[in-house]
Amino acid sequence: MRQRYAFLLLLPAGILLTVFLAIPYVSVFLSAFRVPGEGTPYGDGYTLGNFARIFTDWFYIGQALNTMLIGAVTTLATLIIGLPVAFQLARPELRLRGLFYGIVLSPLLVGIVIRSYGWTILLGNNGVINRTLRGWGWIDGPMPLMYNTLGIVIALTHVFLPFMILPIMSAVQGIDPSVASAARSLGARRLSVIRRILLPLAMPGIQSGCILVFVLALSSYVTPALIGGLRVKTTAVTVVDAMIDTFQWPFGAALALTLSVLGGASVLLFARATRMKWK
Amino acid sequence: MTEVRLNRLTKIYAGGKPAVDSISLTIPTGQFVSLLGPSGCGKTTTLKMLAGFEEVTRGEIAFDGQDMVRVPAEDRDIGMVFQNYALFPHMTVFQNLAFGLEMRRIGKAEIARRVGETLEMVQLSHLADRYPAQLSGGQQQRVAIGRALVIEPRILLLDEPLANLDAKLREEMRVFIRDLQKRVGITTIYVTHDQAEAMTMSDLVVVMFDGRIAQAGAPAEIYERPKSATVAGFVGQVNLIEAALDPASPGAAKTPFGPVPVQVPPVGDSVTLALRPEAIDIAPAGAGPGTAATVESLQYSGAIVDYVLRFADGSRASVKTIPRHRFETGQEVSLSVDPARFWQLGREY
Repeated sequence: MRQRYAFLLLLPAGILLTVFLAIPYVSVFLSAFRVPGEGTPYGDGYTLGNFARIFTDWFYIGQALNTMLIGAVTTLATLIIGLPVAFQLARPELRLRGLFYGIVLSPLLVGIVIRSYGWTILLGNNGVINRTLRGWGWIDGPMPLMYNTLGIVIALTHVFLPFMILPIMSAVQGIDPSVASAARSLGARRLSVIRRILLPLAMPGIQSGCILVFVLALSSYVTPALIGGLRVKTTAVTVVDAMIDTFQWPFGAALALTLSVLGGASVLLFARATRMKWK
Repeated sequence: MTEVRLNRLTKIYAGGKPAVDSISLTIPTGQFVSLLGPSGCGKTTTLKMLAGFEEVTRGEIAFDGQDMVRVPAEDRDIGMVFQNYALFPHMTVFQNLAFGLEMRRIGKAEIARRVGETLEMVQLSHLADRYPAQLSGGQQQRVAIGRALVIEPRILLLDEPLANLDAKLREEMRVFIRDLQKRVGITTIYVTHDQAEAMTMSDLVVVMFDGRIAQAGAPAEIYERPKSATVAGFVGQVNLIEAALDPASPGAAKTPFGPVPVQVPPVGDSVTLALRPEAIDIAPAGAGPGTAATVESLQYSGAIVDYVLRFADGSRASVKTIPRHRFETGQEVSLSVDPARFWQLGREY
């Protein structure tokens, strides 16, 4: 085929993305500014009223802030747990690498609904954790692990751990081992080598892992819906409620847009703060 | 200023034959020593044991008589230059040099002063704020050398530092490194597989094969009086002549160039003689006494011409000469050699 027809190869992907991504985005964006209708999705004309409703009601603002908090804490937790795992997995002399990869990836092999139900069995008031602790006499009443922010963070941390580990691992694997040797020959002890050399060089991976997990946690629906129940709702859950249960499409769209802007802004700030001059 | 002594140093990797096989070597203070050999000869493993990156299976490493085998790499006070430079990519040139001093908890002002001096020494003062990725190969190399020297280490180790540079830069860097080493006066161990590098830079060349030291000596000694055919062949081209002892004249062996005095071996009736190609003089046939030969092939490379010559008995010899007279393929020539240029090879290492 001639070079100038090569763009035709882009058509299938282009059509797919336009129909299923670009058009829905534009549609959500536009409907956020539509007037809600009576018995119909939209009334006549455009308005900023949907946003006014969000930003004048502490319920929605607080919920959005709590959602951001869940995203941030989940990111931090996956980072703390994932960082050492990623460094170990990146060691060239690691044996049984395939097995460890499998374990790291295992959360992705089970459907998200099943995984979240699994957590309800563990975290519930009559769940495995509470019953065991009560059996040992460590606690009197049930410890609240479900239907709260903590439970959501625990489950999301499990679900999104691979998205933190994999990018960090590949960044660490890209570090020339002789750089660490050079640091040692210059008198750096183990901790200094990690803090001054390995961590900064793994930063590109840490950065992408954090952005990935934060964005995924912010927009996650199934896990917060199942673990949070009716008690704790994230913005994503409220968006779906508005869209499906209460049939308020313009309000749901405005809420979704607000969350996207907040999330996008956070990611931009984070990327700026962790910018690497040497890259 | 440190004297380095290796005593029966051995490295055996699990289930293999020794990578380094009981080598003993004393490197006097301030000397520049090359470990020269083909890849897999154990030279890099030896260097890694010296640096503390590789555990010693058996034997001793001592700096000024002080045992180093159990001292971890970070406490050995060694400056090391790696083949791929191993610069810290996230630090500027200044920060790369300052790192070792910071690890030694030296004050900011003192660090700035010493890094400044060292940068001047390696001619990089103008690039102090650059990151390694913004530098050329030669500049990165100088950063690596500066970073190793700024800590004023006891010894300097270099692992094939010029292997990644182009030919012209490599020659410049040879002179640069050697000058710097003389100025600083630091005991230096230099690993290379390039015999020209080892010859031009070193006080002492240590030729290694199969984990053992085949010969250690001054560059001229290694080149002109190698002990074995392997060493002779590794440091340059050589003609090996299997010469029968001459029953007519005791203490001499027969060669195409006439009888050569040799040390008669206790057993056998022949000796192995070696002769560098540039030791043979070549002249037109009939231009005086000499051994007749025919030019079989020649290779002209500007400053020198390499000839392959065939004798009447079918044996061959290589001759290297400046192209004052040109001889053509098939031409009859006359060869002569000063008998003192022959030397007798011993058994292999």
